Amino acid sequence: MAKIHIVERDGSEREIDAPSGEQLMEALRDESTGVEGTCGGSCSCGTCHVYIDPAWAAKLGPRDEDEQMMLDALGEFVEIRESSRLSCQICVSDEIEGLKLEIAPEA
Amino acid sequence: MSVIDLKLLQETKDLERCPFPIPTGWFFVDYSKNLAEGEVRNVFLLDQEWVLFRGKDTGTVGLTDPYCPHLGAHLGHGGTVQGDNLRCTFHHWEYDAKGWCKKVPYAKIMPPVCKKQAVLRTLPVQEKWGMIWVWYHAKAEAPLWDLPSIPELESDDYVEPKTGHWDVNTAIQEVAENGVDFAHLKYLHGEPEIPPASTEFKGHEIFTDMKNGYIKGHQVGPGLAIYRFNHEGVIATMVSYSVPYTRELSKMNMSFTHKKYPEGTKEAMIADHLVKHMVGEADGKESAGFESVDFIVWNNKKYRPNPLLCDGDGPILQYRKWFKQFYPGMEDSDRI
Repeated sequence: MAKIHIVERDGSEREIDAPSGEQLMEALRDESTGVEGTCGGSCSCGTCHVYIDPAWAAKLGPRDEDEQMMLDALGEFVEIRESSRLSCQICVSDEIEGLKLEIAPEA
Repeated sequence: MSVIDLKLLQETKDLERCPFPIPTGWFFVDYSKNLAEGEVRNVFLLDQEWVLFRGKDTGTVGLTDPYCPHLGAHLGHGGTVQGDNLRCTFHHWEYDAKGWCKKVPYAKIMPPVCKKQAVLRTLPVQEKWGMIWVWYHAKAEAPLWDLPSIPELESDDYVEPKTGHWDVNTAIQEVAENGVDFAHLKYLHGEPEIPPASTEFKGHEIFTDMKNGYIKGHQVGPGLAIYRFNHEGVIATMVSYSVPYTRELSKMNMSFTHKKYPEGTKEAMIADHLVKHMVGEADGKESAGFESVDFIVWNNKKYRPNPLLCDGDGPILQYRKWFKQFYPGMEDSDRI
């Protein structure tokens, strides 16, 4: 279990408990944050885009090719930041306890 | 090691009729004229169902796995051709003949994987000699050789080929093995003697010569063989292109042709007779063609991986070793 600090699309903030071993996307989806995760984690829908707090971004490791391609394509519709990630590519564990992120706008 | 295993010879219950997987190679699907522009058709070959279609823009042919990569609808039930693409009826996703997803009509963003690679399995297709050919490889590798040139099917100097088609209840390895089984030509077909023959195995090809040039054979992979019968300077050609439907049912397809000779000439009569001899329709004292005698063997035999052979049997084992190259991953199998 990891506590995740969320900035929602309307600017409000809250904390959720994300179960370890799940994709972060699943926890965000189940908490009705606006994250949809339609494709289930295969980087083919782009509906789980989040902005990671820059202080955390480097700790999560690099994006892989598919994630990068999706973020590039999303860039036509929404702002992409250096700390943009697809939350389906982040695995929940104790190591991300206290992670801070912002839900990106819908494409 | 080389002692005959009597138990293996006598206990045949565990022998299989067709222990072989579908081999690597180019295989005939249908004649080009039988697939119209815009047509979609389900076909069963190579031990599975496929969807065959021809584009409307450039007429390209595709042979695809039946099930849409999106949500699994059968592309050959309700699917239609749009331009050169096959469109799934379920959500109108479109795929080209090489299996690339070309259109998802409602997605803002095409899934990135669709930009990287084909997502629908298709077989490489080639149209040649008025036929549709596909390349099959169990591990989906790209073609390892090209279809050869067959002048008799490419030039106007030859008569329109006669064609024949036969179902045979065995694997194509078993069918083509008779091509190097020279002794059976005397006993099954009734040749006066076991014909003198030579065989050369070379990569994916086999070259045979029977009766000192009377029959020259050229096998190209498992799915194509060309036999040229030569008599008094007249050559008649048989092109054989068998395709596995299932592991135990194959379709034998053949085209017969020869040079155009004026009607009534000696050459025309010889050519006609040679063609009849190939199929087994020749009158008189000729040996029997394959149609009348080989099927009873093919349809009922079992495959012996360790046959009891004798001198005079021809290069059966070399042939089997040659054929193994078409079963990737089974090089060490003792079943085939």
